Amino acid sequence: MDYSLDIKDQEAVVRLSGRLTFNDHAKLRALIKEMIGNDAKCQVLDLSSLEFVDSAGIGMLLIAREELEGQNKKFLLRRAAGQVKRVLTVAQLGKLITIED
Amino acid sequence: MLASQVTVLHGLGVPSERLACLAVAGGLPLWPAEDDRVGDGDPERIVVLVGSVDPESLDNCWLRPFAAWIELGILSDAAVLNKIALAASGVLVASFTTVTANRLTLARDIVEAVGSRREIGSERRDDIELAIHEAISNALVHGNLQVESMKGLTMSALDRFSEDISRRISDPDFANRRLDVSCELDAGGVTVEIADQGAGFIVVETDRCGPCGRGLDLISGIAQSCQLLDGGRRIRMRFDL
Repeated sequence: MDYSLDIKDQEAVVRLSGRLTFNDHAKLRALIKEMIGNDAKCQVLDLSSLEFVDSAGIGMLLIAREELEGQNKKFLLRRAAGQVKRVLTVAQLGKLITIED
Repeated sequence: MLASQVTVLHGLGVPSERLACLAVAGGLPLWPAEDDRVGDGDPERIVVLVGSVDPESLDNCWLRPFAAWIELGILSDAAVLNKIALAASGVLVASFTTVTANRLTLARDIVEAVGSRREIGSERRDDIELAIHEAISNALVHGNLQVESMKGLTMSALDRFSEDISRRISDPDFANRRLDVSCELDAGGVTVEIADQGAGFIVVETDRCGPCGRGLDLISGIAQSCQLLDGGRRIRMRFDL
């Protein structure tokens, strides 16, 4: 998985690409720290270029939510497609994290 | 000797002497160099023995006619020959060390291999890839590397998980443990087995709720059947196609 961070006004958009799996533990740690460290009140993960996510990847998204909400920041997922959208739906992640099209 | 007329052996980064010995012992011809190939097209099955190569060059490794990828690592000739025999019988085989398998996208390669041999709808394909991926990550992380799931949804749980994996993967005693995948197609579907060399485990229902612990439930929801064998070191999954 790769990511790029773009901050506009009060919204930080992180665009993920590739495959988000257990193997991305180090990158996710770095990403969560970057999201906590910037000033934007709303942190968005743009998943439109993400091709695949596994159960550990879902777990890491939930950790990001916990950490960011603990810092009083809004966290949401946007534009999931294909396998990623399907897994988010099956895991009923929408009950825990705001998911936008 | 294997009486196969259709399976050939190919080496990538394998010393030619060892390759020649394994070909003789396995009763398989070597895949001729490109300039020496005669006749019309490729053999039915190519078994690739992997020596010292960059794992990134092994993408899409099971597309026809490639049917087996066996990383030699520290395997004995007898162990290599067993895997060659399995591949020659028509089973798709992948056998890698943990450190190499961790750099590959094996689950994707497996579904692409199956998809190149059978027609599968895209949603079913995504689901099967996820099930196989979860089984492989369980085998690598909890099996061979003996790293526990993240406990709770906290940064410290992620830090601990990440540090444990990094430490174990740089320890040859863990990194050289094998991941063995076999994949057998038949008229009704495909049977996939994933084996590791970890300590094994006993499934306890209450272990299944952490971020990583969902894997087995996910697999059971996608596969038509799912069995844990060898004390939890091998999982056999059946997918109807």
